[in-house]
Amino acid sequence: MIRKALAVALWIATAATAPAAAQAPKPAQVAASVRRLFGRDVRIDTLRADSSLVLRVSRRDSLLGFARVGNVRGKDQPITWLVAVDPALRLRDVDILVYREPYGGEVAYEAWRRQFRGKAPDAPLAVGRDIQGISGATISVNAVTTAVRRTMGDFSRWRQRGLLR
Amino acid sequence: MQLRRLAALSLILLPIHVCALAAQSEATTTLGGYGEVHYTNRTGAGTPGEATLKRFVLYVAHAFDERLSLRSEVELEDARLESGSPAGEVSVEQLYLDYRLSSALTLRGGLLLPPVGIINEAHEPPTFNGVARPDFDHDVIPTTWREIGVGVAGAMPKFQGLNYRLYLVNGLVAAGFSADEGIRAGRQEGQNAVFANPSITGRLEYVRPGMRVGTSFWYGGSAAQDPLLGKGAFDNAVALLSADARLERGGFALRGVFATIHVADADRINAAYGGAVASRITGGYVEGAYNLLRLLAPRSTQAFNGFVRYERFDTQAEVPAGVMRDATRARRYTTLGVTYKPIYNVAVKGDYQLRRNRARAGEDEVFRLGLGYQF
Repeated sequence: MIRKALAVALWIATAATAPAAAQAPKPAQVAASVRRLFGRDVRIDTLRADSSLVLRVSRRDSLLGFARVGNVRGKDQPITWLVAVDPALRLRDVDILVYREPYGGEVAYEAWRRQFRGKAPDAPLAVGRDIQGISGATISVNAVTTAVRRTMGDFSRWRQRGLLR
Repeated sequence: MQLRRLAALSLILLPIHVCALAAQSEATTTLGGYGEVHYTNRTGAGTPGEATLKRFVLYVAHAFDERLSLRSEVELEDARLESGSPAGEVSVEQLYLDYRLSSALTLRGGLLLPPVGIINEAHEPPTFNGVARPDFDHDVIPTTWREIGVGVAGAMPKFQGLNYRLYLVNGLVAAGFSADEGIRAGRQEGQNAVFANPSITGRLEYVRPGMRVGTSFWYGGSAAQDPLLGKGAFDNAVALLSADARLERGGFALRGVFATIHVADADRINAAYGGAVASRITGGYVEGAYNLLRLLAPRSTQAFNGFVRYERFDTQAEVPAGVMRDATRARRYTTLGVTYKPIYNVAVKGDYQLRRNRARAGEDEVFRLGLGYQF
């Protein structure tokens, strides 16, 4: 328990001092998103992979998956996303933590995000191929899809280098 | 027990750090823009092909903090401005401040785009097929329509997929209305706009993956306190109703818009200014497109759309007593063309347009090529 508290404190401290702090999501929001995806009683630790922070999610001794938070630019503002994967790096869900622009906010809708669920680590994740776009939200749709695709690539590389355990 | 203690601990810890994070928000400025080059060649004698740098638009956005932001577009039309030449125009296409209270409610003020139809709000070249914007979006919905005002926008919290916008803006000015272009020249576009006729405009839309349907309206007077028309806020009211849909499935895309505009007491407008302004302007278009690369190169993320658009509109659909309807104003335009998009923000276009009207007079055909981008 103390370890978990430490992990949360460490993560908050890191988030607060990171250069992207201006666009950092609220820690409570990140925790709420992870709990919504993995269950209420999960334990969240943090791992370092390259310069990125990865959330490791577990319950008792079983690993449930990993999650990562980041920003991608939409038309003019960052879109703050969370990508969660299971231990086999299958895509568990995508969450939009903060959306700041006047148009394109539909990427946060459940009906669009649920297309990502269950995608394999090497799925194409391309708008118009395996991800259906949203008319009138092209920039946001492409931005988020690209961010998810890159994150899946990062997870795979980190796994190969033994950083995800 | 331990769990509870931790929960208590996070409750104490989190709010402090949340405040710290919120306070750290810093301002960001973003540059964007769009542009398009057109080549146009009409059939008929004495109409050589013509190329113009149709639009060069700079988009500047600034986020003062997480809630307060500014968005603006400055446009140069036809490459340059020179004194004594009627060509070219520099204008601010939009400029507004947003105060975002939540995803359900943003307060907005400035030079706003009435949220009517498809093209008025989304007019960047890669977002539509065809080199030129649809003629309907020129003569019926006077794109790019912008007026000064305040309003609210957001997503309905209880019903995901439903968005709204509602603005109070300055009115149109009836002195600019015409038989050929409807209410177009009645726009004030943010320049010393007469605010005698506050107007309301709004939109409700429903969005799903692959689908966006919306309905829009405008209502407001246009007399501008001209003694010949009237002093009332709603004198010579212009009432516009519009519906639109955009559907995408597989490589197919279908879009359509319909609008009808009623101008009250058009006879008095004509008596005052000597025009032939209609009491009703109406029309719309449907467009079908298919991304041919779905067949030729299914793994490609590029797009090569073939499309057909049929526009039908009449700027004199109904006229007041004493005005003769001119059947050349009942237009039927068919456009066939292609749009190649190496990436979604860049478009190379070509199309051929058959311009017909009910009178079968003065008809012609137009061939166009274009380049466009947005970022």
